[in-house]
Amino acid sequence: MAEPKKRGCLGCSFPLFIVIVIIVLALIILGFLSGAIGQVMFPGLELPEWLTASSPEPHLPAPELFHVFGLPITNTMLAGWITVIFLAIVSWAVTRRMKLIPGRLQMVFELALGWIYDLCKSIAGEENGRKFFPVVCTIFLFVLFNAWLSLIPGFGSIEITIHGHHYELIRGSNTDVNTPLAIALVSFVFVIFYGLKNARMDFVKQYLNFGPFFKSIGRIFKGKLDVMGIFEGAIQIFVGGLEFLSLLIRNVSFTFRLFGNMTAGEILLLIAAFLLPFVMPLPFYVLELLIGLVQALIFSLLTLVFVTMAVTPAHGAESH
Amino acid sequence: MDAEAIKMLAAGLAMGLGALGPGIGIGILGYGAMQGLARNPEARGPIQTNMILAIALAEAIGIYALIVAIILAMVA
Repeated sequence: MAEPKKRGCLGCSFPLFIVIVIIVLALIILGFLSGAIGQVMFPGLELPEWLTASSPEPHLPAPELFHVFGLPITNTMLAGWITVIFLAIVSWAVTRRMKLIPGRLQMVFELALGWIYDLCKSIAGEENGRKFFPVVCTIFLFVLFNAWLSLIPGFGSIEITIHGHHYELIRGSNTDVNTPLAIALVSFVFVIFYGLKNARMDFVKQYLNFGPFFKSIGRIFKGKLDVMGIFEGAIQIFVGGLEFLSLLIRNVSFTFRLFGNMTAGEILLLIAAFLLPFVMPLPFYVLELLIGLVQALIFSLLTLVFVTMAVTPAHGAESH
Repeated sequence: MDAEAIKMLAAGLAMGLGALGPGIGIGILGYGAMQGLARNPEARGPIQTNMILAIALAEAIGIYALIVAIILAMVA
Protein backbone atom coordinates (compact mmCIF):
# COMPACT_ATOMS: atom_id res chain seq x y z
CA MET A 1 0.00 0.00 0.00
CA ALA A 2 2.99 2.25 0.53
CA GLU A 3 3.99 1.83 -3.12
CA PRO A 4 1.20 2.98 -5.39
CA LYS A 5 2.65 1.28 -8.46
CA LYS A 6 2.43 -2.19 -7.00
CA ARG A 7 -1.04 -3.63 -7.40
CA GLY A 8 -2.39 -5.79 -4.62
CA CYS A 9 -0.97 -6.79 -1.29
CA LEU A 10 0.94 -9.90 -0.16
CA GLY A 11 0.47 -11.52 -3.53
CA CYS A 12 -3.32 -11.21 -3.63
CA SER A 13 -5.34 -8.73 -5.60
CA PHE A 14 -6.64 -5.90 -3.45
CA PRO A 15 -10.35 -6.89 -3.16
CA LEU A 16 -9.35 -10.45 -2.31
CA PHE A 17 -6.99 -9.17 0.36
CA ILE A 18 -9.76 -7.10 1.95
CA VAL A 19 -12.08 -10.10 1.97
CA ILE A 20 -9.41 -12.25 3.63
CA VAL A 21 -8.74 -9.56 6.26
CA ILE A 22 -12.44 -9.28 7.01
CA ILE A 23 -12.79 -13.05 7.35
CA VAL A 24 -9.78 -13.25 9.68
CA LEU A 25 -11.05 -10.36 11.79
CA ALA A 26 -14.51 -11.95 11.99
CA LEU A 27 -12.92 -15.22 13.10
CA ILE A 28 -10.88 -13.42 15.75
CA ILE A 29 -13.93 -11.64 17.14
CA LEU A 30 -16.08 -14.74 16.94
CA GLY A 31 -13.39 -16.81 18.58
CA PHE A 32 -12.94 -14.25 21.30
CA LEU A 33 -16.67 -14.17 22.04
CA SER A 34 -17.20 -17.93 21.94
CA GLY A 35 -14.07 -18.86 23.86
CA ALA A 36 -13.63 -19.07 27.58
CA ILE A 37 -12.17 -15.56 27.93
CA GLY A 38 -15.08 -13.91 26.15
CA GLN A 39 -17.59 -15.99 28.05
CA VAL A 40 -16.21 -14.71 31.32
CA MET A 41 -15.97 -11.09 30.16
CA PHE A 42 -19.46 -10.89 28.67
CA PRO A 43 -21.62 -13.25 30.72
CA GLY A 44 -24.87 -11.93 29.30
CA LEU A 45 -23.97 -12.89 25.72
CA GLU A 46 -26.05 -15.74 24.32
CA LEU A 47 -24.42 -17.73 21.52
CA PRO A 48 -25.76 -20.84 19.78
CA GLU A 49 -24.82 -24.12 21.41
CA TRP A 50 -22.48 -25.33 18.67
CA LEU A 51 -20.38 -22.16 18.80
CA THR A 52 -19.43 -22.14 22.45
CA ALA A 53 -16.30 -24.05 23.35
CA SER A 54 -16.90 -26.69 25.97
CA SER A 55 -14.24 -27.18 28.60
CA PRO A 56 -11.58 -29.69 27.51
CA GLU A 57 -11.26 -33.11 29.11
CA PRO A 58 -7.90 -34.62 28.26
CA HIS A 59 -7.57 -38.33 28.95
CA LEU A 60 -4.20 -39.79 29.88
CA PRO A 61 -4.89 -43.55 29.64
CA ALA A 62 -6.14 -44.71 26.28
CA PRO A 63 -9.60 -46.31 26.42
CA GLU A 64 -10.26 -49.77 25.00
CA LEU A 65 -12.51 -49.58 21.98
CA PHE A 66 -13.10 -53.24 21.18
CA HIS A 67 -11.46 -56.63 21.43
CA VAL A 68 -9.92 -58.68 18.65
CA PHE A 69 -9.39 -62.31 19.74
CA GLY A 70 -9.30 -61.15 23.36
CA LEU A 71 -6.72 -58.49 22.57
CA PRO A 72 -7.90 -55.03 23.61
CA ILE A 73 -7.64 -52.41 20.85
CA THR A 74 -7.23 -48.85 22.06
CA ASN A 75 -7.71 -45.67 20.07
CA THR A 76 -3.98 -44.92 20.07
CA MET A 77 -3.29 -48.36 18.60
CA LEU A 78 -5.64 -47.55 15.74
CA ALA A 79 -3.72 -44.34 15.09
CA GLY A 80 -0.43 -46.21 15.18
CA TRP A 81 -1.68 -48.67 12.57
CA ILE A 82 -2.94 -45.81 10.44
CA THR A 83 0.59 -44.38 10.54
CA VAL A 84 2.08 -47.73 9.57
CA ILE A 85 -0.32 -48.16 6.67
CA PHE A 86 0.25 -44.58 5.57
CA LEU A 87 4.02 -45.05 5.58
CA ALA A 88 3.74 -48.34 3.71
CA ILE A 89 1.52 -46.82 1.03
CA VAL A 90 3.73 -43.76 0.66
CA SER A 91 6.90 -45.80 0.34
CA TRP A 92 5.19 -48.08 -2.18
CA ALA A 93 4.05 -45.08 -4.19
CA VAL A 94 7.49 -43.51 -4.09
CA THR A 95 9.45 -46.60 -5.07
CA ARG A 96 6.97 -47.91 -7.61
CA ARG A 97 8.43 -46.08 -10.56
CA MET A 98 11.86 -44.86 -9.58
CA LYS A 99 13.60 -42.75 -12.15
CA LEU A 100 17.12 -41.52 -12.55
CA ILE A 101 15.76 -38.00 -12.80
CA PRO A 102 13.35 -37.96 -9.84
CA GLY A 103 9.86 -36.57 -9.92
CA ARG A 104 8.52 -34.34 -7.18
CA LEU A 105 7.51 -36.97 -4.64
CA GLN A 106 10.63 -39.03 -5.16
CA MET A 107 12.80 -35.94 -4.79
CA VAL A 108 11.26 -34.98 -1.45
CA PHE A 109 11.88 -38.43 -0.05
CA GLU A 110 15.35 -38.65 -1.52
CA LEU A 111 16.18 -35.35 0.12
CA ALA A 112 14.81 -36.38 3.52
CA LEU A 113 16.32 -39.86 3.55
CA GLY A 114 19.61 -38.58 2.18
CA TRP A 115 19.77 -36.06 4.99
CA ILE A 116 19.25 -38.72 7.65
CA TYR A 117 21.73 -40.97 5.87
CA ASP A 118 24.41 -38.28 5.91
CA LEU A 119 23.67 -37.65 9.59
CA CYS A 120 24.10 -41.38 10.30
CA LYS A 121 27.39 -41.50 8.47
CA SER A 122 28.72 -38.37 10.15
CA ILE A 123 27.99 -39.74 13.64
CA ALA A 124 28.60 -43.49 13.33
CA GLY A 125 31.22 -43.49 10.58
CA GLU A 126 31.01 -44.73 7.00
CA GLU A 127 30.52 -48.46 7.52
CA ASN A 128 28.50 -48.45 10.75
CA GLY A 129 26.32 -45.60 9.56
CA ARG A 130 25.23 -47.74 6.61
CA LYS A 131 24.41 -50.59 8.98
CA PHE A 132 22.44 -48.53 11.49
CA PHE A 133 20.56 -46.42 8.97
CA PRO A 134 17.45 -48.64 8.50
CA VAL A 135 16.49 -48.85 12.17
CA VAL A 136 17.31 -45.22 12.89
CA CYS A 137 15.36 -44.02 9.88
CA THR A 138 12.38 -46.22 10.70
CA ILE A 139 12.22 -44.81 14.21
CA PHE A 140 12.48 -41.30 12.80
CA LEU A 141 9.72 -41.76 10.24
CA PHE A 142 7.36 -43.57 12.62
CA VAL A 143 7.66 -40.98 15.38
CA LEU A 144 7.50 -38.10 12.93
CA PHE A 145 4.39 -39.25 11.11
CA ASN A 146 2.71 -40.29 14.35
CA ALA A 147 3.13 -36.72 15.49
CA TRP A 148 2.24 -35.05 12.21
CA LEU A 149 -0.76 -37.19 11.29
CA SER A 150 -2.41 -36.39 14.61
CA LEU A 151 -2.22 -32.68 13.73
CA ILE A 152 -4.49 -33.11 10.69
CA PRO A 153 -7.79 -31.36 11.45
CA GLY A 154 -10.49 -33.95 12.08
CA PHE A 155 -8.07 -36.61 13.23
CA GLY A 156 -9.16 -36.46 16.86
CA SER A 157 -12.63 -35.00 16.44
CA ILE A 158 -14.58 -38.20 15.80
CA GLU A 159 -16.13 -39.01 19.15
CA ILE A 160 -17.49 -42.25 20.48
CA THR A 161 -19.12 -43.05 23.79
CA ILE A 162 -17.95 -45.89 26.00
CA HIS A 163 -19.59 -46.46 29.37
CA GLY A 164 -21.00 -42.94 29.36
CA HIS A 165 -17.66 -41.22 28.68
CA HIS A 166 -16.78 -39.45 25.46
CA TYR A 167 -13.56 -40.54 23.80
CA GLU A 168 -11.83 -39.85 20.52
CA LEU A 169 -12.00 -42.67 17.99
CA ILE A 170 -8.37 -42.19 16.98
CA ARG A 171 -5.76 -40.33 18.99
CA GLY A 172 -2.11 -39.66 18.22
CA SER A 173 -0.19 -42.82 19.00
CA ASN A 174 2.62 -41.00 20.78
CA THR A 175 0.24 -39.71 23.45
CA ASP A 176 -0.07 -43.19 24.91
CA VAL A 177 2.81 -44.27 27.18
CA ASN A 178 2.93 -47.71 25.60
CA THR A 179 3.98 -46.62 22.11
CA PRO A 180 7.06 -44.63 23.20
CA LEU A 181 7.91 -47.48 25.58
CA ALA A 182 7.73 -49.96 22.71
CA ILE A 183 9.98 -47.83 20.50
CA ALA A 184 12.38 -47.34 23.42
CA LEU A 185 12.56 -51.11 23.92
CA VAL A 186 13.24 -51.59 20.22
CA SER A 187 16.13 -49.16 20.44
CA PHE A 188 17.34 -50.85 23.67
CA VAL A 189 17.43 -54.28 22.03
CA PHE A 190 19.08 -52.76 18.96
CA VAL A 191 21.85 -51.21 21.09
CA ILE A 192 22.48 -54.41 23.04
CA PHE A 193 22.45 -56.58 19.90
CA TYR A 194 25.05 -54.52 18.10
CA GLY A 195 27.07 -54.05 21.28
CA LEU A 196 27.27 -57.82 21.78
CA LYS A 197 27.86 -58.50 18.10
CA ASN A 198 30.61 -55.99 17.43
CA ALA A 199 32.36 -55.38 20.76
CA ARG A 200 31.63 -58.79 22.37
CA MET A 201 33.44 -59.05 25.71
CA ASP A 202 34.30 -55.35 25.79
CA PHE A 203 30.62 -54.56 25.82
CA VAL A 204 29.89 -56.95 28.68
CA LYS A 205 32.96 -55.78 30.57
CA GLN A 206 31.59 -52.27 30.49
CA TYR A 207 28.78 -53.36 32.80
CA LEU A 208 30.09 -56.43 34.65
CA ASN A 209 33.68 -55.62 35.47
CA PHE A 210 34.68 -58.29 38.03
CA GLY A 211 38.07 -59.04 36.51
CA PRO A 212 40.40 -56.64 38.37
CA PHE A 213 38.72 -57.36 41.72
CA PHE A 214 39.14 -61.12 41.58
CA LYS A 215 42.64 -60.77 40.20
CA SER A 216 43.61 -58.77 43.27
CA ILE A 217 41.87 -61.28 45.57
CA GLY A 218 43.77 -64.07 43.86
CA ARG A 219 47.02 -62.29 44.53
CA ILE A 220 46.44 -62.69 48.30
CA PHE A 221 46.93 -66.45 47.97
CA LYS A 222 50.24 -65.82 46.29
CA GLY A 223 51.28 -64.03 49.46
CA LYS A 224 50.89 -60.49 48.15
CA LEU A 225 48.31 -58.29 49.87
CA ASP A 226 47.30 -55.65 47.33
CA VAL A 227 44.86 -53.40 49.21
CA MET A 228 44.76 -50.70 46.57
CA GLY A 229 44.09 -53.30 43.86
CA ILE A 230 41.13 -54.74 45.75
CA PHE A 231 39.81 -51.27 46.40
CA GLU A 232 40.11 -50.26 42.75
CA GLY A 233 38.48 -53.51 41.64
CA ALA A 234 35.53 -52.87 43.94
CA ILE A 235 35.19 -49.36 42.54
CA GLN A 236 35.22 -50.75 38.99
CA ILE A 237 32.41 -53.16 39.88
CA PHE A 238 30.47 -50.24 41.29
CA VAL A 239 31.09 -48.13 38.17
CA GLY A 240 29.94 -51.03 36.00
CA GLY A 241 26.74 -51.22 38.06
CA LEU A 242 26.17 -47.51 37.54
CA GLU A 243 26.66 -47.91 33.79
CA PHE A 244 24.17 -50.75 33.76
CA LEU A 245 21.68 -48.64 35.70
CA SER A 246 22.05 -45.79 33.25
CA LEU A 247 21.50 -48.25 30.40
CA LEU A 248 18.15 -49.18 31.94
CA ILE A 249 17.16 -45.65 32.92
CA ARG A 250 17.69 -44.52 29.32
CA ASN A 251 14.50 -46.39 28.42
CA VAL A 252 12.47 -44.52 31.02
CA SER A 253 13.90 -41.23 29.84
CA PHE A 254 13.26 -42.10 26.17
CA THR A 255 9.68 -43.06 26.97
CA PHE A 256 8.73 -40.06 29.03
CA ARG A 257 10.47 -37.53 26.83
CA LEU A 258 8.41 -38.49 23.81
CA PHE A 259 5.21 -39.18 25.73
CA GLY A 260 5.46 -35.96 27.72
CA ASN A 261 6.18 -33.76 24.75
CA MET A 262 3.38 -35.19 22.66
CA THR A 263 0.80 -35.21 25.47
CA ALA A 264 1.75 -31.69 26.48
CA GLY A 265 1.31 -30.57 22.87
CA GLU A 266 -2.10 -32.20 22.67
CA ILE A 267 -3.26 -30.59 25.91
CA LEU A 268 -1.79 -27.25 24.85
CA LEU A 269 -3.83 -27.34 21.64
CA LEU A 270 -6.96 -28.30 23.59
CA ILE A 271 -6.52 -25.45 26.06
CA ALA A 272 -5.73 -22.97 23.27
CA ALA A 273 -8.85 -23.99 21.39
CA PHE A 274 -10.82 -23.65 24.60
CA LEU A 275 -9.56 -20.17 25.51
CA LEU A 276 -9.71 -18.56 22.08
CA PRO A 277 -11.06 -20.79 19.30
CA PHE A 278 -9.99 -20.49 15.64
CA VAL A 279 -7.13 -18.06 16.23
CA MET A 280 -5.04 -19.07 19.21
CA PRO A 281 -4.41 -22.71 18.18
CA LEU A 282 -2.81 -21.62 14.88
CA PRO A 283 0.64 -20.62 16.19
CA PHE A 284 0.60 -23.65 18.46
CA TYR A 285 -0.06 -25.89 15.46
CA VAL A 286 3.11 -24.53 13.87
CA LEU A 287 4.94 -25.10 17.15
CA GLU A 288 3.65 -28.68 17.26
CA LEU A 289 4.93 -29.32 13.74
CA LEU A 290 8.38 -28.22 14.88
CA ILE A 291 8.19 -30.21 18.13
CA GLY A 292 7.18 -33.37 16.27
CA LEU A 293 10.20 -33.01 13.99
CA VAL A 294 12.58 -32.28 16.87
CA GLN A 295 11.32 -35.17 18.99
CA ALA A 296 11.60 -37.62 16.10
CA LEU A 297 15.10 -36.35 15.42
CA ILE A 298 16.10 -36.68 19.07
CA PHE A 299 14.71 -40.17 19.42
CA SER A 300 16.54 -41.46 16.36
CA LEU A 301 19.75 -39.50 16.96
CA LEU A 302 20.04 -40.64 20.58
CA THR A 303 19.52 -44.23 19.48
CA LEU A 304 22.27 -43.72 16.93
CA VAL A 305 24.62 -42.16 19.49
CA PHE A 306 24.01 -44.94 22.01
CA VAL A 307 24.55 -47.70 19.50
CA THR A 308 27.72 -46.02 18.30
CA MET A 309 28.91 -45.83 21.90
CA ALA A 310 28.10 -49.52 22.39
CA VAL A 311 30.00 -50.55 19.27
CA THR A 312 33.13 -48.63 20.26
CA PRO A 313 33.29 -49.01 24.06
CA ALA A 314 37.08 -48.91 24.40
CA HIS A 315 37.29 -45.14 24.76
CA GLY A 316 34.82 -45.02 27.62
CA ALA A 317 36.48 -47.86 29.50
CA GLU A 318 39.97 -46.41 29.27
CA SER A 319 39.05 -43.02 30.60
CA HIS A 320 38.10 -44.42 34.02
CA MET B 1 -6.95 -26.14 53.33
CA ASP B 2 -8.86 -29.11 52.01
CA ALA B 3 -7.33 -31.92 50.01
CA GLU B 4 -8.38 -30.50 46.63
CA ALA B 5 -6.65 -27.18 47.26
CA ILE B 6 -3.45 -28.91 48.35
CA LYS B 7 -3.54 -31.06 45.22
CA MET B 8 -3.83 -28.01 42.99
CA LEU B 9 -1.07 -26.25 44.92
CA ALA B 10 1.16 -29.29 44.55
CA ALA B 11 0.54 -29.44 40.80
CA GLY B 12 1.36 -25.76 40.38
CA LEU B 13 4.47 -26.01 42.53
CA ALA B 14 5.67 -29.10 40.69
CA MET B 15 5.38 -27.35 37.35
CA GLY B 16 6.85 -24.06 38.51
CA LEU B 17 9.83 -25.48 40.36
CA GLY B 18 10.37 -28.11 37.68
CA ALA B 19 10.56 -25.45 34.97
CA LEU B 20 13.30 -23.56 36.83
CA GLY B 21 16.15 -25.91 36.04
CA PRO B 22 15.42 -26.47 32.35
CA GLY B 23 14.90 -22.73 31.94
CA ILE B 24 18.37 -22.00 33.27
CA GLY B 25 19.78 -24.85 31.20
CA ILE B 26 18.22 -23.63 27.97
CA GLY B 27 19.45 -20.13 28.73
CA ILE B 28 23.01 -21.36 29.14
CA LEU B 29 22.71 -23.41 25.95
CA GLY B 30 21.47 -20.43 23.97
CA TYR B 31 24.27 -18.31 25.40
CA GLY B 32 26.87 -20.87 24.36
CA ALA B 33 25.40 -21.25 20.89
CA MET B 34 25.24 -17.49 20.34
CA GLN B 35 28.86 -17.11 21.40
CA GLY B 36 29.88 -19.91 19.10
CA LEU B 37 27.95 -18.31 16.26
CA ALA B 38 29.50 -14.92 16.86
CA ARG B 39 32.98 -16.37 16.83
CA ASN B 40 32.42 -18.66 13.90
CA PRO B 41 29.45 -17.69 11.73
CA GLU B 42 30.28 -20.31 9.09
CA ALA B 43 29.46 -23.12 11.52
CA ARG B 44 25.83 -22.05 11.74
CA GLY B 45 24.35 -25.37 10.57
CA PRO B 46 26.03 -27.79 12.98
CA ILE B 47 25.76 -25.36 15.88
CA GLN B 48 22.05 -24.95 15.32
CA THR B 49 21.38 -28.70 15.04
CA ASN B 50 23.37 -29.48 18.14
CA MET B 51 21.79 -26.61 20.05
CA ILE B 52 18.29 -27.81 19.22
CA LEU B 53 19.23 -31.34 20.26
CA ALA B 54 20.67 -30.20 23.58
CA ILE B 55 17.75 -27.87 24.21
CA ALA B 56 15.31 -30.71 23.66
CA LEU B 57 17.27 -32.82 26.14
CA ALA B 58 17.06 -30.04 28.73
CA GLU B 59 13.43 -29.48 27.93
CA ALA B 60 12.64 -33.12 28.61
CA ILE B 61 13.31 -32.52 32.30
CA GLY B 62 10.70 -29.80 32.34
CA ILE B 63 8.36 -32.19 30.56
CA TYR B 64 8.81 -34.74 33.37
CA ALA B 65 7.65 -32.08 35.82
CA LEU B 66 4.74 -31.34 33.53
CA ILE B 67 3.69 -35.00 33.53
CA VAL B 68 3.78 -35.07 37.31
CA ALA B 69 1.75 -31.87 37.44
CA ILE B 70 -0.83 -33.21 34.97
CA ILE B 71 -1.15 -36.46 36.87
CA LEU B 72 -1.53 -34.57 40.14
CA ALA B 73 -4.13 -32.21 38.77
CA MET B 74 -6.21 -34.60 36.70
CA VAL B 75 -5.72 -38.20 37.69
CA ALA B 76 -4.65 -38.42 41.31
